[in-house]
Amino acid sequence: MTGINEPGLGRGKTAFALSAVIAIVLNTVVACTKDAYHPLKLFMASLGDNDWTTQGLADVIVFVGLGLVLMKIGGIEKFDSPRVIPLLVGAVIVAGGGLFAWYLLY
Amino acid sequence: MSIERSDVILLAHATFGVLGVLSALWVFVEALNAREDNEARTRRVSLVVAACMCVAWILGGYWYLHFYPADKAMILKGPWPFAHSVFMETKEHLFFLTLILSLYLPVAAWGKLWANSNARKMVLCVSMLIALTGVAMEGSGAIVNHGAKIAYVRASLRGSP
Repeated sequence: MTGINEPGLGRGKTAFALSAVIAIVLNTVVACTKDAYHPLKLFMASLGDNDWTTQGLADVIVFVGLGLVLMKIGGIEKFDSPRVIPLLVGAVIVAGGGLFAWYLLY
Repeated sequence: MSIERSDVILLAHATFGVLGVLSALWVFVEALNAREDNEARTRRVSLVVAACMCVAWILGGYWYLHFYPADKAMILKGPWPFAHSVFMETKEHLFFLTLILSLYLPVAAWGKLWANSNARKMVLCVSMLIALTGVAMEGSGAIVNHGAKIAYVRASLRGSP
């Protein structure tokens, strides 16, 4: 997808961009699910001081862990920058807007 | 004058958040003008963004867990309950988006941005997203603060003769 003379993002930047997309979407899904399904909130609270603390730590672990795993996977460079950049921007807009809409309507 | 520990923590949280946003804007400008000369500086400032947001997370988290519950109860009983139910709830979860982007920024900014237009575009996008989500959280913080303030004022007026 990149031009002939344009270098792509490279394995590390692409892997961590994809893990950021997954962690960002997962964060919104977990935030909404734990409100709708109380036992999940209680379970998350039992793992740490508070469900919010657990969620934050889980987000960071998913981002770092998945990024490292994706870096090891061959062919990750196929998701080159023309795909990854809109994917990341779209994930932030959908996840952020989704959070606001959820708390506004819930 | 009486400055409580909770005030210091809360103000430090907001200060580090603003410093993170300003540093993200700094990275954005450096990436716009990416050259061989500013390569190392861009990397260093991207690390400052990540560090500021991590400190803001720890301070904000500590304050949220230890001091916010009393304010939350007041806000929910006050005239602006949405300050908590919409804005604080959104803010506390939206923050993780900013945190993840801030942790990704040093990865994106690593390498020769001046020689790689795709990496440069990624840094521009990520730094701008950090700045925008950061500003949204600062605004939400102001609404939460106002929600608490009017709730306490209303309660004190009710309690006065």
